[in-house]
Amino acid sequence: MYMYLPIALASVNYLLVIGLGLGVGLLSGLFGVGGGFLMTPLLMMIGIPPTIAAATDANQIVAASASGTYAHWRLGNVDFKMGLYLLVGGFVGGAVGVQIIKFLSATGGADFLIKMTYVVMLGLVGTFMFFESLNALRKAKNPAHVAAAAAKSAAPVEKKQGFFASLPLQTYFVKSGVTHSALVPIALGTFVGILAAIMGVGGGFLMVPVMIYMLRMPMHVVVGTSLFQIMFTCMEVTFLQCTSNKTVDFLLAILLLLGSVFGAQIGTILGKKLHGDQLKILLAILVLAVTAKIVLELVMEPSMMLAMKGGH
Amino acid sequence: MCKSIIRQFVIPLLAALLFLPLATVRSAQALTCQVNPNKVDINLSYHGATLTVTGENTAGDELIIRIGNAAGETHYKYMGKAGGFFWMKKGDVGFKNVPGVYLLYTSRDIEHLLDPAGQQANLIGYEALKAAAEMETASDELNGNEARWKEEFIRFKEHQNLYAIHSGTITRQHGAASDTYQAEVAWPYQAAPGTYTVEAMAVRNGQVVERSQVEFTVGRTGVVAWLSNLAFNRPAVYGIMAVVVAIIAGFAVGMVFRKGGGAH
Repeated sequence: MYMYLPIALASVNYLLVIGLGLGVGLLSGLFGVGGGFLMTPLLMMIGIPPTIAAATDANQIVAASASGTYAHWRLGNVDFKMGLYLLVGGFVGGAVGVQIIKFLSATGGADFLIKMTYVVMLGLVGTFMFFESLNALRKAKNPAHVAAAAAKSAAPVEKKQGFFASLPLQTYFVKSGVTHSALVPIALGTFVGILAAIMGVGGGFLMVPVMIYMLRMPMHVVVGTSLFQIMFTCMEVTFLQCTSNKTVDFLLAILLLLGSVFGAQIGTILGKKLHGDQLKILLAILVLAVTAKIVLELVMEPSMMLAMKGGH
Repeated sequence: MCKSIIRQFVIPLLAALLFLPLATVRSAQALTCQVNPNKVDINLSYHGATLTVTGENTAGDELIIRIGNAAGETHYKYMGKAGGFFWMKKGDVGFKNVPGVYLLYTSRDIEHLLDPAGQQANLIGYEALKAAAEMETASDELNGNEARWKEEFIRFKEHQNLYAIHSGTITRQHGAASDTYQAEVAWPYQAAPGTYTVEAMAVRNGQVVERSQVEFTVGRTGVVAWLSNLAFNRPAVYGIMAVVVAIIAGFAVGMVFRKGGGAH
């Protein structure tokens, strides 16, 4: 029942860890969003040090995103040009994020930064999702709103890019059918790369809305391209965490992978049978619950007043 | 006069001669100590171990078994409030002259075995540990409250299962010439690999009268040793392996399901 993790220096119930992977993978498949932002806090809750949890989760995301990228590539849903620009930014951001963690590990602030980043990002995403789903549920009950929404979506969208259009290095992305400055995806990729290193997440929960609302890419290309970029960003983050911080626990990643791979498939099947907005609001509540747990840990007096140096 | 000499010298002398062999036998009954197993392997299924400490002791003696390693220095971060609101790691604090592991098993409560001076002299009990420990920190906040932070140190070690006191847990069997004893030790998986000492002490009339010790080793083996060496000594190879295995696993699953795995 127990497996010893040589880097985390912890003996964990492997069925529990596989179960966590299964649960988060199921949510991933069910809601169509990433599990990384839930996995790292859950690992912290079972006693894995935050820096190990974040770095190992990045390793696990490499496998999950590789699986997804492969499927979307077969369907022709990956904009490789956009993905490469995002990747350049992601590599820079990943390297910067790992160095931030390295510096803060030495001063004892890494755990605090990881927790605060989670509070801010999860709080924002959870609140946005909650109110968006609530509005969608209210409108679904009102036929007048449904008709108005349908008319609005049928109308042609005027693309006003303002500041983005004034930037240099404008280029056309054939697959997505959009024109942007190369600096835009590079900057966005850098931002997501920093988050990936700090939080141990792929950043899909941020990248997907950014691609839809800011880069105005078509939905079917967004997910595949996001996964492509995330796969490479997390590969870099995993490698750098191994060489700089020595915080990737390979065995822990394998256990998580075993669960998440199957959980994602089960979640995908279940998701087709359930109502989308109800699922979204449930996910929003889950995200906000995780945020509340982390906030409580930050504001309540800890049971232990001493902690290991460097997070592990 | 003669009777007086007999009373004062001869009878005591005869008595002494009579009981001398018994006293010799008593002192010859050296305290023994064995530990089984004497080598603990940290393998994939490791979740700590159960050690059995056994031995013989002079009939009637009380016993203390101390398991641990040599006293050394250890450093931590201490928690404090940042900006008066968030709890976070604030600064460094070190403790000198403290063992990494300290497990104590006794036949009775420590207070009934040794007085405070005896506890301190033999490093028995948390009060003795705290008295021997030296705290080092640059923080004025901590320097003014050394006793409280030494107590926090003990609590932290107990929380990690590396310090524990189990009173009255040594089982004894009385024999004709000597007693035998046994203690079941729950060895924590949190203890680092290394060499540890099991020291048995016989206590008579509030004094430690005999000691016996034996060593055992805790070491990584198999996959755990290999991965640990790779991660810390060849991190680039370890990193490439972690990435390559994850990619292969992801693509393999993608090929099997053809619909893709968990998205991000």
